[in-house]
Formats: sequence, C-alpha cells, structure tokens
Amino acid sequence: MKPLTGFELLRPSTLSGALELLATLELAWPIAGGTDLIPQFKDDGCESKHLVDLSLIRELNGIKMEDNFIVIGPMTTQTQVISSRLIEENAPALHEAVKLMGSPQIRNRATIGGNLCNASPAADTAPPLLVHDAEVKLTSLEDSRWIPLTDFFAEECTALEPNELMTSIRFPIVHGASSSFQRIGRRRGFTLSVLNLAVYIERDGKNLSEVKIAVGAVAPTPIMLEKVERELKGMRMDTNLLEHARKMVSEAVNPRDSARSSGEYKREMAGVLTERALSAAWTRVGGKLP
Amino acid sequence: MIFELNGKNVGVEAKPTVTLLDLLRGELGVTSVKKGCEQGECGACTVLLDGDPVTSCLILAPQVEGRRVLTIEGLVDNPLVRELREAFLRNGAVQCGYCTPGMLLSGYALLRDNKRPSEEEVKTAIEGNICRCTGYVAIIESILDAAERIAPD
Repeated sequence: MKPLTGFELLRPSTLSGALELLATLELAWPIAGGTDLIPQFKDDGCESKHLVDLSLIRELNGIKMEDNFIVIGPMTTQTQVISSRLIEENAPALHEAVKLMGSPQIRNRATIGGNLCNASPAADTAPPLLVHDAEVKLTSLEDSRWIPLTDFFAEECTALEPNELMTSIRFPIVHGASSSFQRIGRRRGFTLSVLNLAVYIERDGKNLSEVKIAVGAVAPTPIMLEKVERELKGMRMDTNLLEHARKMVSEAVNPRDSARSSGEYKREMAGVLTERALSAAWTRVGGKLP
Repeated sequence: MIFELNGKNVGVEAKPTVTLLDLLRGELGVTSVKKGCEQGECGACTVLLDGDPVTSCLILAPQVEGRRVLTIEGLVDNPLVRELREAFLRNGAVQCGYCTPGMLLSGYALLRDNKRPSEEEVKTAIEGNICRCTGYVAIIESILDAAERIAPD
C-alpha cells in the first residue's frame, strides 16, 4: 500500500466549473464516489495532479422521469438507486444489480456514473443499462453529445475524451416490459462479479415480442448478444425456449480463463444465468411457465 | 476546514492526501475508528457521514467539510447503541474487538431505520464489516436481540 501523494483536490459546485478545471489544469482527473479510484491510488500511486471532485455538483445527482425516459444523474449513489421506486418499477434488472453491489458503506459512496466510467468489463450496472437501451450524455465545455451505451465501452477505456464528463444517463420507459439481473460471485455478499448478465423482455401473450441480453466479464467490455436476441424474438416462451436460449448463449460467449474463474465455467454459467433471468423477467410481467 | 465531529464543530487543516480515517485517528485522536484493509473492504474504519455508514479510508479529508461525522464515541449515551453494546456482551459477540466499533455503527444505522429487521436484513447491513474471530453468528444474534428489546412485539 502506498501513501496518497502528489495531488490537489478541487471541489467545484457547478458543471461548467468542473469542465473548466478539466480543460485547463494539467493531469486533471474527475473523481466520483472514489470507491474504485482511492484503493487504486493506494495500490499503484496516483498519476493525476488535480482531482476534480464531482460530488458537490447538484445537477449531476438524482433520478427523474422526463418525457418517456428515466434520467439518472451519474453522481447518483447506489443507495439512491436502490431506494428509487422509478428504477424498481421500470428497470428491475438495474435495481437488482445495484442491491448486490458492494456493501452498505460502499453503496453510500459509489455512483452509477463512476461504475460505468471505470470501464470494468464486470461492472454490474452495465448489463442492465445495456438491455434497457440506455444512452449516456458526454459533455465538454464546447459540446454535448448523446451516445448509445453500447458505443461507450472500449477495451480498458471509454468513449470519453479527456475534457469530457458523463453528465446524464437515460433509458426509455416501456410499458409491459421487464428485466432481470443475475450474477455469479465467489460468495453472496460484497464481492465482485465473476460473471453477470441482464435480460430485458417485452411480452405479447405467450410470446416474447422483444428480447435483449447483455453479459459482463466474458470479453474486454460488457457485450450484447444480438444474434441470440434475434433468434429468440417473437418465439413462444416455454421450457423448450429456455433450454434453447441456454445453449445459444453458452455458444455465443467466448470468455478467457482468468484468476477468478475458468472460461469454460463462465461459458456454462452464462447459459444458466440466461435461463434464470428469462424466467424471472417473464414471471415479473405476469407470464407463466408450463 | 470545519466539520461536525460527534456533535461538536472542529476546525482542522485538511490535506487532500489525508483520508478521513487518518485525520480522525492521527490528528483528532479518535481511535475507535480502526485501520484495517484501507481499501474499503473490511469496515473497521466505518463512520456515519450525515447518518450513513461509510468507510472513512475511502474519503479524502476535505470531502467532509460542513458535514456531520459520527463515531461510536459520539453515541456512547445513545439508548439504541447501549442496547446493542449490552447485547454484544451478553451474546459473546466480541473477541478481539477490532471490528466492534464498525459493527456497532452498522447495527445502529440498521436499527435506527428498521426497528425489526429480518436476519437477512441484518446480514446485508453488516456485509461490509469483516470479523475474523466470531464467525458472525453471535453478532447477528446480538443485533436481532437488541431489536427485540427496543421494539418488542
């Protein structure tokens, strides 16, 4: 463990203030809840000379409904996400994921934007937001752009330019839709995901009129399984479909062996988690399984 | 920087490279806050920040400016903490004691907001507090026991 050293902490109270600091100061990095960054600084040292603390910027915090979207400020803590009825009702997968993350102490600090911007392939908020078709807003002093979350993740980095901040996250509210999050960890509480997966469905009678599947920790970034989604869309939901989905997902992912698990285990379990998630989401929209 | 520590305003020089944990222990002599993993994993350094449990090893000192920090010292006379403390003693939930201040704070935050938690809710409340002596059973029983006493059916 290294002592923390070599940086100043700046605490702007406005977004424009933060963007200004990031654009003008040498080696300026944003810091959100700090639950990933501070341990990382203690392990590896801190390259940044100026940490720009975003926690005082009100406009980056909170959950609201706007037109037909749920809009989440990136500095919203995991605890805030857990206590949000809007999230629980409209994005159950996200609600479930956040409940499983960290510990109360961590969830009181860690933010949803921090989890995404940290660019971990195992980030638990990524699969739920991906299947809910989320977009993120990236803002610099000059410009703002919305991009689909699918375009945000890259290997060990994100689409963020050095002078940009993630300033909003949104996804559409779809009536009659549901979702579920499932994960494998080395224990039940307070652990990183060895594998995580979210499923989103829309139900039309006995059929799946829409299916989205996102998996984390099987590739350098969280991924969506479009080919499997296309295969399952429109199909009748029953135990045969679950078996079919399980096999297809196991074949669609190609995880490497890692310190936390073998690739073979993840491949098998991705199929199993798909079955669990589809069943849970189906039950949630009033569907029955014969 | 000024912040509220256990009900009193304190003014300190807060360096950005000093964690709240080191500020409390090193400069303010609050030694109930224990230094364990320094990575936010063990919960020995838990404090309440505006009432919410957080690991003080992951907070930079200037970040508590104007906020309320509570450690177990600030809750010595709190009736709920007294029940918890006595339950811990009765049930043998303390061995080396290193995790105990953090456990008490997590238990207090739970019972303050949820008078009759389920065993599952107790486990969730202390999932961020590691105890290497007791195996948790006595700690969980103590928190449930204290809940029973403060809010009997």
